[in-house]
Amino acid sequence: MLERLTYPWERPEPPAPQEEMGFFTDTTLCIGCKACEVACKQWNQLPADGFHWTGNSYDNTVTLSDTTWRHVAFVEQLGDGEGRPDRWLMMSDVCKHCVQAPCQESCPTGALIYNEFGDVYVQQDICNGCGYCVAACPFGVLDRSEADGLAHKCTLCYDRQKDGMTPACAKACPTESIKFGPVSELHQIARRRVEQLHERGERDAYLYGTEAAGEYSALNSFFLLKDHPNVYNLPEAPRRPAAHLKTNYLWSFGAALGLAAVSALLLRRGDEG
Amino acid sequence: MNVETKSGVETIHGDGAAVEWLPAFTPASDIVRYATEHRTPTGQAGAAGDYYGVPMLKKPKWRWEIALYFFFEGVSAGAFLLASLAELVGGRRYRNVTRAGYYTSLAALLPCAPLLIADLGRPSRFHHMLRVFKPTSPMNLGAWALTGYGMHAGLLATKQLTGDGPVAAEPLKCVSNLIPARLLGVTGLPFAFTMLSYPGVLLSTTSTPVWSRTRFLGALFACGSVSTGAAALSLALAAGGGDNERALNVLEKIETVAAAFEGATLAAYVKTSEGAARPLTEGRYSKLFWAGAVGAGLVLPVLLRAASPKKGRGRRVSTVVRSLMSLAGGLALKWAVTHAGRESAVDVEATHAATRPTEEAPGWGPSQSKQSA
Repeated sequence: MLERLTYPWERPEPPAPQEEMGFFTDTTLCIGCKACEVACKQWNQLPADGFHWTGNSYDNTVTLSDTTWRHVAFVEQLGDGEGRPDRWLMMSDVCKHCVQAPCQESCPTGALIYNEFGDVYVQQDICNGCGYCVAACPFGVLDRSEADGLAHKCTLCYDRQKDGMTPACAKACPTESIKFGPVSELHQIARRRVEQLHERGERDAYLYGTEAAGEYSALNSFFLLKDHPNVYNLPEAPRRPAAHLKTNYLWSFGAALGLAAVSALLLRRGDEG
Repeated sequence: MNVETKSGVETIHGDGAAVEWLPAFTPASDIVRYATEHRTPTGQAGAAGDYYGVPMLKKPKWRWEIALYFFFEGVSAGAFLLASLAELVGGRRYRNVTRAGYYTSLAALLPCAPLLIADLGRPSRFHHMLRVFKPTSPMNLGAWALTGYGMHAGLLATKQLTGDGPVAAEPLKCVSNLIPARLLGVTGLPFAFTMLSYPGVLLSTTSTPVWSRTRFLGALFACGSVSTGAAALSLALAAGGGDNERALNVLEKIETVAAAFEGATLAAYVKTSEGAARPLTEGRYSKLFWAGAVGAGLVLPVLLRAASPKKGRGRRVSTVVRSLMSLAGGLALKWAVTHAGRESAVDVEATHAATRPTEEAPGWGPSQSKQSA
């Protein structure tokens, strides 16, 4: 009994930091086979989401959720008849593993941590399902499970990484659209790939999330895109929710203190005048 | 296997039995339903610059428990603030205000912890909130503030109770005399201020447009809480009988000032939220927001105060009615704002507007990458 009450306060020695690992998802190589979705479900033992047709191209998964940690988006675009050809964009979406993650900043229990590989991880034995991370994530990645009441998301296969293995989705990807490795190496690969695409005439290719953008940090899981981020259901310029924490507190404490001061004056003066 | 069309969505029947359309336990079922119901007419993603109208954000999980919590903890902290100020500034002059204030603060605090625990996905782990001290998370700061505030409110109400007679046994009185009321009134103030200030900031520190676009939600909730706290005190004093005319006069003035502050922060909130406040100003919660929070909570009490008799029974009745309206308005404000988050998260247009590039957040869009290249 005593141990059950005290274990959340126990702090074992954390594992030594390793090289930062991440994903580079090159959407120009994605063929929409959904092997990543299946491999992820299988390795992480995630339940099925039911069976339904959405009519949104081949996307019947719709979104990332507590039980879907890889989601392949299908963007069908018809040409404009004036030179822009029809095209079909596919993108395997995943948790962005932000270097400074809003979910981690908001988590009140310390369940959300950066692990030794620099990835954002939900400790399932700590999470109490408050739902703050769900509202905080600007990408809509996290969700709270109806089954166990806890927040779930991509772990970047923390368990596999601990054993020096490649995450399940990257391992299963047949076209190497999903690349896994040290973030610094992935950045080089990604830049070379953009140059190569530009040389071949694909001028619209660009990288999403390789560098910090103002108040928002870089993403350890970043993407090569070919259209506006909103087209892939990504925010163009995500905001860091905690960026204005001080200003918010300043105004609210200011209002409360101001009201208290006026109240004290009124109380002191009593009901004369 | 045959395909049937049901409201434009195909369902597949196989093996003679219908495959259930969206089984009850489908994790992101509300988003899936949204995606199928809001399909762009062309069926073409990217045509309207979005992804089939699928919301980018997840709906916040917070519902009635949290809306009620924000209301009760606001009443509690507001009443505590006024009670301890009355004791510090006015001393025995405001004995009745202090007494009513400490009782109200404890009474309103009682449902708070159960509401918060009921809201958790795993209620048995509520104590994990106090596992770390992490002020970057307003929820964690709030959990600590609630703990410290609860102790102060509990001790002061207990002392009041033993002093007032109902539990006037001598040994209890000896113990309660050891509780330094004035000191606790002072040390409780920082906790009460935090309780007033953090709820709106908690909501603002998210990605939900209706909460996060503005810097004034924290201030709005703080002013609303003081308003409801003062209204609860007026209600207790007017309904309780006795000669409280002087105290009621002062409380009335405080309520007017609080309403003015609340009106100003509300205007600032709506103005700075721009289109993101749509679920409140013209959406599903607009009636509750305009008629409840603004009408019943701000405008009507001020009008009633001007029109009501200044003395006697008529004044008491009008004070009771006015206080009830203020309390209902405060509840409407917190209910509407808390619930509007769920509407706002699926408002694709608002989400896109809230994530357009600015200087502070240039983002990674194609235009940005061309500039840097």
